[in-house]
Amino acid sequence: MAPISALAQVDRTAAETQIKAAFLYKFSGFVEWPPKVFARPDSPFTIGVIGADELAAELEQIVKGRTVLERAVVVRRMRRGESVAGIQMLFIGQAEGARLAEILANAKGQSVLTVTESEDALSHGSMINFVFVDDKVRFDVALPQAERGALKISARLLAVARKVVTSS
Amino acid sequence: MRRLLATLSVRQKLLAVVLLTTLTALLVAIAVMVGFDLRNYRQSLISDMTTQADLLGRTTAPALTFDDPRVAQENLELLHYRPQIRAAAIYSARGKIFASYSGRDGREFPKLPEADGTRIEGNELVLFKRIVDSREILGTVYLRADYELYDRLVGYLGIAAIVAAIAMLVAYVLSRQLQHIVTSPLLAIADVAREVTEKRAFSLRAPKLSKDEIGMLAESFNTMLAEIERATRDLQASNEVLGREIAEHNRAEQEILRLNAELEQRVKERTAQLEFTNGELEAFCYSVSHDLRAPLRAIDGFSQALLEDFPKDVPEEAQRYLSRIRSSTQRMGQLIEDLLNLSRVSRGGLERRDADISELARQVVTELQGREPQRKVDISIWDGMRANADSRLLRAALENLIGNAWKFSSKTDQPRIEIGSLSDDGRAVFYVRDNGAGFDMAYANKLFGAFQRLHSGNEYQGTGIGLATVQRIVQRHGGRIWADAKPGKGAAFYFTLESDGVERASPDMAEAQA
Repeated sequence: MAPISALAQVDRTAAETQIKAAFLYKFSGFVEWPPKVFARPDSPFTIGVIGADELAAELEQIVKGRTVLERAVVVRRMRRGESVAGIQMLFIGQAEGARLAEILANAKGQSVLTVTESEDALSHGSMINFVFVDDKVRFDVALPQAERGALKISARLLAVARKVVTSS
Repeated sequence: MRRLLATLSVRQKLLAVVLLTTLTALLVAIAVMVGFDLRNYRQSLISDMTTQADLLGRTTAPALTFDDPRVAQENLELLHYRPQIRAAAIYSARGKIFASYSGRDGREFPKLPEADGTRIEGNELVLFKRIVDSREILGTVYLRADYELYDRLVGYLGIAAIVAAIAMLVAYVLSRQLQHIVTSPLLAIADVAREVTEKRAFSLRAPKLSKDEIGMLAESFNTMLAEIERATRDLQASNEVLGREIAEHNRAEQEILRLNAELEQRVKERTAQLEFTNGELEAFCYSVSHDLRAPLRAIDGFSQALLEDFPKDVPEEAQRYLSRIRSSTQRMGQLIEDLLNLSRVSRGGLERRDADISELARQVVTELQGREPQRKVDISIWDGMRANADSRLLRAALENLIGNAWKFSSKTDQPRIEIGSLSDDGRAVFYVRDNGAGFDMAYANKLFGAFQRLHSGNEYQGTGIGLATVQRIVQRHGGRIWADAKPGKGAAFYFTLESDGVERASPDMAEAQA
């Protein structure tokens, strides 16, 4: 809810985490999921987080009391190898490192919006990848991956993306 | 305005009315249209700008969401396709300027966004609009756009002026073309009316060119003209009759004048004849009287010689007869003398000089007293009586008048004679008055005729020629003489010596006049 522009200078990492958490939540407003991703009408909107506990904690704070697509929002901390079934958005922290490609391959073809914060993550199949430009958090978008997952990313989101990859 | 209109011709008035009406209608129409358009303009501008703000909000919402002022800036930069928008800005939800755009002129932006709304600031429209996405306020759009109300108004006024000019021109040309429909019948009547007034040609008729009120006017005018024509004809006819009568009258008058002149001429001729005859008569009378004196003197002389030379030889009775012959011849001599006097005063020249009447009267009286020194007569003569007259004739007249007074007062107890003058209308009137025998005024008209005697020769001696002589003298002076008397109470003779222009004196006074 709070504007994101004010970047805390005290603790750069903490601020960065906060911003990324907020962005994550806000991505949900610009992406369209196929209806079948929700098992039941009252199924919550679930955001899976791997390898980024602080961010998960932050995200939990943000989504408290909020809804996405008129559904309650749930943050699920996940482990490697865990199925992505019932998850609509998956954030893979930098901490996963070399296991990134594996996790992405696991989610490949699923209607799960994959968000990463690692360099070159898009080439590994990530849909949105955070980057750090001029002390600001920005992101790149890879459309082919999203299309494979039957996700539609709003052009308005693309407009603010640093880079949009349209073909692999 | 009305006073100005009143001096124009009908044509100009019509034109003025048409132009005024056109102008008024045009101005009202333009005013309404402009008002409507400006209202529309304002509404559409606000609506347009609101839409623009919404669009901007929606476009910049992701930039705000993901804190990307650059993108917002890029979005704003697109506004340069709309030069009408002078400035725009995006405020973040915290009220800081997130991105800004200024068109032609750099300008300051409000420090803080305001609540949603639009307002006009001079010739600019200012708009604030919240950016709301997913029920979250992301920021505020600020727009500042040209509000060209005044420019448009000025433009409209220019257009209105041009349109008005064109419309007026068209109206002017049209009404000039069309007004003759209205004015030509009127002007035709006016022309006829002017011609009728100037030439008094009542036979003219106004053409009826239309079937409206002007046509009715022409008809009425023609009826009136016909009426006037008839009246004029009647008047002319009666004038002619009158003229003939006057001419006749003039002819008659001329005839009378001619007759009068003829008459006068005849009178003049007769008068001349009469004067000639009179002159002849007088000459004859003079010569006869003159020639009669010689034998008379012989008779008287020889009678006297008989009486004186032969006192013893002539018997007493014969002497008595001779005395009577002598007195008769003396009387006849006197008569002849008087006749000659009368004749003399009638002929001869009139020499007017300043004559002293008082002195002349005194001489006459002295002479009379010398002849009869035994008589005691109270005579008074006024001093200083003068006149411009022939003193010889005047003396003859005074001799007769005073002599008469002397004579007819001889049987009065205390005879009195007064010679004086009085003034009548500034003219001197002289008189000789006595208290003698007088006479009856009934015979006054015979008084101045020759040989007329009111008293018998036995009573008073006289030839009856004296007053005729006096009258002649007075007449020759241009004066007149008249008398006033009563039997036994004396007589008064008045005379003037200059013309006084009085034709007739009072009827109870005997008078004669030149």
